[in-house]
Amino acid sequence: MIERIKVGMASCGIAAGADEVKDFLDQKLKDREDIEILEVGCIGHCYAEPLVEVETESGSVFFENVEPTEEYLDKILEIDKESTMSFRDERTGREHLKVTKLAGRIDPVSLQEYIENGGYESLKKVAKMSPDKIVEEVKTSGLRGRGGGGFPTGLKWSFLASKEADKKILICNADEGDPGAFMDRSMMESVPHQVIEGMLIAALATGSNELFIYARAEYPLAVKNMNIAIEQVYDSDINVFDGETIDVTVKEGAGAFVCGEETAMIHSLEGNRGNPRYRPPYPTDEGYKGHPTLINNVETFANVPIIFEEGGEKYAELGTENSKGTKLFALAGDLKYAGLVEVPMGLTIGEVVYDMGGAERGEVKAVQIGGPSGGCIPAKHFDVPIDYDSLESLGAIMGSGGLIVIGSGRCMVETARYFLEFTTKESCGKCTFCRIGTKRMLETLERITSGEGTLEDIDFLEDLGPKVIDASLCGLGQTAPNPVLSTLRYFKDEYLAHVEDKHCPALQCNDLVDIYLDQEICIECGQCIKNCPVDAISDDFVVDNETCTRCNTCIEVCPVDAISRVKRGDTNE
Amino acid sequence: MSKVNIKIDGKEIEAKEGQTILEVAEENGIEIPTLCYHEQLSQTTSCYLCMVKDKKSGNYIPSCSSDIADGMDIEATSDDIFEMRKTTLDLLLSEHSGDCEAPCTLACPAGIQIEEYLRAARKGDFLETLKIIKEKLPLPMSIGRICPRFCEEDCRRNVIDEEAVNINDVKRYAADLHYEDYLEELPELTDEKVAIVGAGPAGYTAAYYLRLKGIRSDLYDKMPEPGGMLRYGIPEYRLPKDILDTELAHFDKMGGIEVNCNQELGKDIELEQLKKDYDSVLLAIGSWSSRSMHTEGEELAVGGIDYLEDLALNGWSGKDPGKTIIIGGGNTAMDCARSAVRLTDDSVNVFYRRTELQMPADDIEFEEAKEEEVNFKFLTQPVELREENGKNILTCIKMELGEKDASGRRKPIPIDGSEFEVEADTVIAAIGQNTEAPEGVPTNRWDDIEVNEENYHVQDNIFSAGDCVTGPATVVEAIGAGRQTAESIAAYLEGKEYERDYIINVSRGHWQSLTEDELVLINEPVERERAHLEYISDDKRINTFAETNKTLTEQEVIEEAERCIECSCSYKEDCQLKDYSEEYKAHPEAMVGEKVLFDYDMRHPEIIRDPGKCVRCEACIKVCKEIVNEYLLEFKDRGYYTNVGTEFGKPLPTDCTECGECIDICPVGALDWKSTKR
Repeated sequence: MIERIKVGMASCGIAAGADEVKDFLDQKLKDREDIEILEVGCIGHCYAEPLVEVETESGSVFFENVEPTEEYLDKILEIDKESTMSFRDERTGREHLKVTKLAGRIDPVSLQEYIENGGYESLKKVAKMSPDKIVEEVKTSGLRGRGGGGFPTGLKWSFLASKEADKKILICNADEGDPGAFMDRSMMESVPHQVIEGMLIAALATGSNELFIYARAEYPLAVKNMNIAIEQVYDSDINVFDGETIDVTVKEGAGAFVCGEETAMIHSLEGNRGNPRYRPPYPTDEGYKGHPTLINNVETFANVPIIFEEGGEKYAELGTENSKGTKLFALAGDLKYAGLVEVPMGLTIGEVVYDMGGAERGEVKAVQIGGPSGGCIPAKHFDVPIDYDSLESLGAIMGSGGLIVIGSGRCMVETARYFLEFTTKESCGKCTFCRIGTKRMLETLERITSGEGTLEDIDFLEDLGPKVIDASLCGLGQTAPNPVLSTLRYFKDEYLAHVEDKHCPALQCNDLVDIYLDQEICIECGQCIKNCPVDAISDDFVVDNETCTRCNTCIEVCPVDAISRVKRGDTNE
Repeated sequence: MSKVNIKIDGKEIEAKEGQTILEVAEENGIEIPTLCYHEQLSQTTSCYLCMVKDKKSGNYIPSCSSDIADGMDIEATSDDIFEMRKTTLDLLLSEHSGDCEAPCTLACPAGIQIEEYLRAARKGDFLETLKIIKEKLPLPMSIGRICPRFCEEDCRRNVIDEEAVNINDVKRYAADLHYEDYLEELPELTDEKVAIVGAGPAGYTAAYYLRLKGIRSDLYDKMPEPGGMLRYGIPEYRLPKDILDTELAHFDKMGGIEVNCNQELGKDIELEQLKKDYDSVLLAIGSWSSRSMHTEGEELAVGGIDYLEDLALNGWSGKDPGKTIIIGGGNTAMDCARSAVRLTDDSVNVFYRRTELQMPADDIEFEEAKEEEVNFKFLTQPVELREENGKNILTCIKMELGEKDASGRRKPIPIDGSEFEVEADTVIAAIGQNTEAPEGVPTNRWDDIEVNEENYHVQDNIFSAGDCVTGPATVVEAIGAGRQTAESIAAYLEGKEYERDYIINVSRGHWQSLTEDELVLINEPVERERAHLEYISDDKRINTFAETNKTLTEQEVIEEAERCIECSCSYKEDCQLKDYSEEYKAHPEAMVGEKVLFDYDMRHPEIIRDPGKCVRCEACIKVCKEIVNEYLLEFKDRGYYTNVGTEFGKPLPTDCTECGECIDICPVGALDWKSTKR
């Protein structure tokens, strides 16, 4: 007996076509008053979107990659066991759903559902505690900032709590900007009330009376859900304590990556250009409009209700010595099961990449952890546990949780170039080393990937990179060279191949690659000729590499794999 | 306020709490450079030039923004710090657009401030023009006539109408007008005395600049009259000797410069004795010995320089040379040919073994020689000279051009069997000159005197400059070297090591690579063709040694000076980026990458904004906002393309003229008054 049908409608679902599935189900089942169709957030299995959960009295079943067709509708209505999604033990056996336990399970914008599932219970508990006690509890939990820096959350709260001020500000940093990272988006889209609850607890602990959520404008659904949840909070007086209302407002950023840096974010909130400033003074001393200000990341706040649900000590049982609890990772790149995973601290990178993500052993070169600010970790170090200190010792950072798997077909120099291009563009342009230094490094990488690099260019990167780190004001510049320096550390042979042999071992850098059509294999079907956008293939099936743009179309359309990328000049074999 | 004890560069300092490291360092005489810090503005922390090292953490920190803390141990001066600051400046220079110095001045071997003297000329202040010239060049009447004009080759005016400003003829006018009535300020003479062997351009120049420092000199010359090549190598029609006499007479007026003629080194005077009698000796003996053709019978030919010397000694007269062949393609060959033309009605022919394109003579010399009906035969090389019946018979071979040689020119190769004979009354071999260095003086593989290129020092108290160091070159190059040597000798006499100034130059590029849109023009260029000198009649030109052309008129000179488009940076005297870059030995080409071509803003009547020069220190934005209480300037764009623009891109209001705070605070002249170029 079907009770409810839940369609995953977070951005990942919508991108995969979930809204069409939802419309289709609405249309087809409009007469079935017994079945409720519900929009929910993301359960983290993004690879399976559009994902439909069917709740029956005997429990839930899931259908993956659902299409808006009668065939799928029949399967869903019949609860066709053959067609339901099976969750792999490799993942379910390792993940530890605490922060995301409600994500994708409840209607994100239903206060009632959140409350029915234990929501705002922690806030109720906390409202009876003294601020000191609340801070103490967070300290006990060992929670560290999930935005990347890893600063102990309780300690940060205590700084603000100890301030005497009429007005104290709390900001939730939801300016998630790393390429490939979507933890904060997913949380805001799926469990907005959990984030607000965490913020209200922090407000009570620190005496803050004005709360902001600084979110990317590029996250319309997250902004929408947060705003609806805030309205519900106001309507139900959840944010009123002893007759005093704590204001919560969503502010949309204009899309600058650097505004994830706290001082830049404060400038942006104030209506100024989002440029960072030197610290000290730290925001807890002098923040938004001069008021003492505390900034925590979305995931950090989302952890807070969990701490008070089970108690700080219990919370601290999970994880490693200096890294407690769980961490969300957005898995992307060359792996089978992209999505959001919540893993206990201390799991190894290999377990996340191979087991949970389904990447093939032997087909992975490295992971990029921490986005453009982080570093790459080569496969040989995948036995390292995920915690703040271990990752740092490898030249990477925990970062906010972007984890990009780099397959063996990718060029590490190009990977470094890609990330550096991002930070170079996103520099606020204020500091000399960040503005010009990253640009000069990027130009050097461009020379190398185009086959014009020299050994001096490699020396230049190794010399300037650490200087940019040393002589930049904020985290953006201080970490921008990391992808370059970590690839130089672990994959120098690839740099040398580009420079000395003018060869891209991964055959990715277009300027160092020719396209070769093997006439022994070719069946002369003519698909390549027909599809080539620049007419680079002759009637007798020879590729003119002068004209060819290396777009790969011919390789993709060839039915017999007769065409391949080869080292530049190696077209005669 | 409580006291804080810190250490900077090992020095124990007691300072007030709340001060920054930079403030404390400044108060204690420890210099820390900065471009973005200003006492009256809020912290910016952008240039990172003020970096120091916190010795405890090993971290580099910006001293302008870091408050002191008790027990701090700061390293503000060290190799590491120097290197970091140099890198900062290398980075800033790599994005910096502008022209620290005008291309003409950079091209001038004497380094004359050309744009500045043209500006004075434009205003009709020719005495000022001459003063500026004489800061770098003491022989402006001569050079105003014979300079090969390196400056004009690089003149940016070429971008506008492909005709350089006629720079040298402005110099000639100013020198002719005021040379005799301008006497520079002269310091008292000291006891120090320098012997200068060779009273040519290098020797006179050195004597002049030594005199300006109060140092006496005695010039010795082997010839009966002073002037060196100016008198004996350059024909009368290019440089009349009465002009030279006027020019050299000025050195006598200065006092402290004695000229002794008919004194040949090794005959009349000895180097060893000079070394003892004087505090220093400068060898400026030139390059006077004609080079061999390595051809059989070459003794039948007369050397180019010898031919000119004979004419000079005869007051620029001589016997009819008859049909003349000159071998060679340089300026001496042109001088010989054009002199011969003036003495004969027979044909005068120049044979050169390469082509017209590769001829080393100045274009103007070649053009004027052709006008005077000198014949040219290219790709022709002599192989033998013999005498038959009182006539010279010259056997030549035809050449063709092969691969490039070490000089970068295509090497001429003889064509087998192409020999031919020509008859001539006079054959002049003008294929170059060699230096005859005095015995015991070290020479290089071209037999020129070997000097330390940094300071022109030879050995003991001997220095050397001019053609005898470089081989035959231009007068203006000898003058440049003469002045540098005077500096070096003066330093030597003070017991110091002479170090050339480390000077950087950022350039927008050579005019051939630029379009008009890429020029930054404070004043609209005047539309006017280049002024040309008026020549004397053809008849007089071919038959006499009278000067071939006449000095421009005052009106022509003023109008010509107005053609200058004033390329150099309006802020070059005060630019902090330039000063610090020179202090920290940064270099504009240390890192090469994209330079953004920002539009410059000329819309305000008095102010120019040139964002290409900006170092993004934010001082202008902040001074407007925090001090003036206006919000007229702001950052635009992001990343590498960040620049300072105006509010909504509007022009700055006209009443900004009354304020100018942003201009005063700009360290690099990205905001500047237009009046600096008026």
